[in-house]
Amino acid sequence: MKRLILVASAFLLMTVLLVTWHFSRQPTPIVLTPTLTGQPEYCLTCHSDLPEISASHPVATFGCVICHGGERLALDADLAHSSMRGGANPSDLSVVQDSCGGSICHSGDSADQRDHIQRVLTSIQATYAGAIASIRYTYGAQPNLVAHQGIYPVEVDPGVPPLGVSSLARFSPSADDSPPILTFAQNCLYCHLSAEPLEGTQYNRQTGCAACHTPTAGKNPAAPVHQLSTSIPYTQCNTCHNRGNYDLRDMQFIARQDHPNDRLNDYYQPIAQFTRCEWTLDCVDCHTRQEAMGDGHIYSNQKEIQYVQCRTCHGTLTELPKTRTITDSNDIALKLAFLNPVIDLKVGDTIIVTDRGEPLWNVRQLADGTFEEFGKATGQRFTFNPVMGTACEQKPDEQASQYCHECHVVER
Amino acid sequence: MRPSFFHHLHPPTIPAPQARLRYTLGAGGLAVYLVLAILITGVLLMFYYVPTPEGAGPSIQVLTFLVPYGALVRNLHYWAAQLLIGVVTLHMLRVILTGAYAKPRRFNYLLGLSLLLLSLMLDFTGYVLRWDEGVRWALVAGTNLVKSIPALGPALYTILMGGSQPGAATLTRFYAWHIFGLTLVLIIIGVWHLFRVRRDGGIAVPPPDKRSNSARISRFELVRREGLAAILATAVLLPLAAFIPAPLAAPMQSLTTPNGLVVDSRAPWFFLWVQQLLKFGNAFVMGVLVPLGVVVLLIAVPYLLPAARPEELGRWLPRGGRLAQVVTVLAAVLLLALSIWSALSSI
Repeated sequence: MKRLILVASAFLLMTVLLVTWHFSRQPTPIVLTPTLTGQPEYCLTCHSDLPEISASHPVATFGCVICHGGERLALDADLAHSSMRGGANPSDLSVVQDSCGGSICHSGDSADQRDHIQRVLTSIQATYAGAIASIRYTYGAQPNLVAHQGIYPVEVDPGVPPLGVSSLARFSPSADDSPPILTFAQNCLYCHLSAEPLEGTQYNRQTGCAACHTPTAGKNPAAPVHQLSTSIPYTQCNTCHNRGNYDLRDMQFIARQDHPNDRLNDYYQPIAQFTRCEWTLDCVDCHTRQEAMGDGHIYSNQKEIQYVQCRTCHGTLTELPKTRTITDSNDIALKLAFLNPVIDLKVGDTIIVTDRGEPLWNVRQLADGTFEEFGKATGQRFTFNPVMGTACEQKPDEQASQYCHECHVVER
Repeated sequence: MRPSFFHHLHPPTIPAPQARLRYTLGAGGLAVYLVLAILITGVLLMFYYVPTPEGAGPSIQVLTFLVPYGALVRNLHYWAAQLLIGVVTLHMLRVILTGAYAKPRRFNYLLGLSLLLLSLMLDFTGYVLRWDEGVRWALVAGTNLVKSIPALGPALYTILMGGSQPGAATLTRFYAWHIFGLTLVLIIIGVWHLFRVRRDGGIAVPPPDKRSNSARISRFELVRREGLAAILATAVLLPLAAFIPAPLAAPMQSLTTPNGLVVDSRAPWFFLWVQQLLKFGNAFVMGVLVPLGVVVLLIAVPYLLPAARPEELGRWLPRGGRLAQVVTVLAAVLLLALSIWSALSSI
């Protein structure tokens, strides 16, 4: 019996050593207490190699959990990740309100243009209302092109007087709808902000805010990108736009076979006409926040929200472009320039503003009356003249780009 | 040596044939050992656990991941409790299959049975204290069974849950029952059970003139064997606790609105058979009456079924207790089969 106890004790000692060894191998927790939440989180124990997501969201201030959710105290990967919002992408529109929202964050005051989420949720890029209305109209499901349905049901803020339609119902075609509409629903709903992209690096983008603000274009979809940026290159827009053609007869997307590398020669499709600034600048250099992210109203198609034209920067023969001199250090233009410092914008500078008063904060008037423009994605500096006083032969009522293309088109 | 209270519980000598592991399976002694382990680790857990809906999840996570050896203490508590259910069940089967429940040990058999029921209740209340997404459905489904009892159900439910639905009051009540109410009763009945073993003449043996071997082992030999069993049990518990962590999920944010996380809706393993039964019919019949019937059947064993004759005691499967043995084994196999069926089927 004594020998048995001795053997058993030796066995117990071995298990004690094994258990001690096991616990000694546990990772040393790395704690971070973000100043915004004041609650310790241990995510960095494993994720210390992640780059800072953006200068506006420093990890020391925000931490991880305020955006991503998850179990801040858990050191077990499965448990820690189990309650994360939107998987690796908290900006997915299904969870964006919890991740990016909040009155001090991106669902703030509309007067201050801090209501990003409400605007995006009603925007045409998110609702896909334009394409849906167009298809439904084409195949007789509705009498006109006014949008009634979107990817998800949404309504404009009750406080906002509706400019377009006041609400959208969910687009969920039933067996009663005509076959092309059903095929459209099956084949064509992958170019909105909630849709998972098609397979391939050329389509690689996230959903929600990150679709545009996380630079994934051309990168391996399997490698996540931990970055948010307002410096959005045209290639990111190209993960949805300019990717091919649509065959409305059989509701198929015909992807272009080439992968545009050389911007001048490959980017636009063969019959496209474009001016120099349309291939040297990036989309976001001209197209504004409201055009891309919406203005809180629900529009029936892209044309109703897209309003920047050549004349916004160049003016007409009789009018100079609209400008505004920055007098307030809290001016939104200064905030935007701070987020993407390609220009040393300061109080006293005169910038171009759009018809709706949105600042083109990257376009500044020079002392001689000409303008300088800084590429938001490239930082490149260009200068240009207003049309007024030049030999331009434009007619006052022909301001759409196709009229400018008649003379200023780039020949390939 | 002057006798202490311990000497009232621990026999001075016991008959050698009935002291063998292959007779007792060591189950009763292991149960005592596991209860002690559970009590000690439980007291340690109480230093960190916060019994509020907001505090429960985070406090367990702090304990598990940040307190040195906190995970080990929690996992030991968990594993000792799981093993206890098994060991107590084994002990009961041993008692029934050796006919040891016969008069005068009938009452102590009932004490033992109540200890099994208390262990199950303690296990279930402890499980609920996690208050995480993993316990949501078991809590809701399990407590709704109480509601299904005709007439009494709603009132019982309100007393048990502290409201018309699970909430903060439920957690407070389950905590109080777990650490105080049930534990106190378990300790009292447990000590009573040990005391009654001696009071009823120690381990069941044939009358002196019917014994083939009248050798006895001393208290010291018995303590040595108990020590050996405790060492081996520790050597099993420690690696279990170190390498197979007790379940833990994201904290329950709200009982009424699930947060959409994919969670296990399975009952804790010892109630899987009830969960399987519920698939076959009415909640009251399958979830309350049938389990109650199993308990009544077990109560009936020493009172209504023929018992082994005294000279048959002290060995396995005495002829006199055949009916009780067959009934119990059938019930056990059925419960086991239902549990396995439930574990294998998707929910």
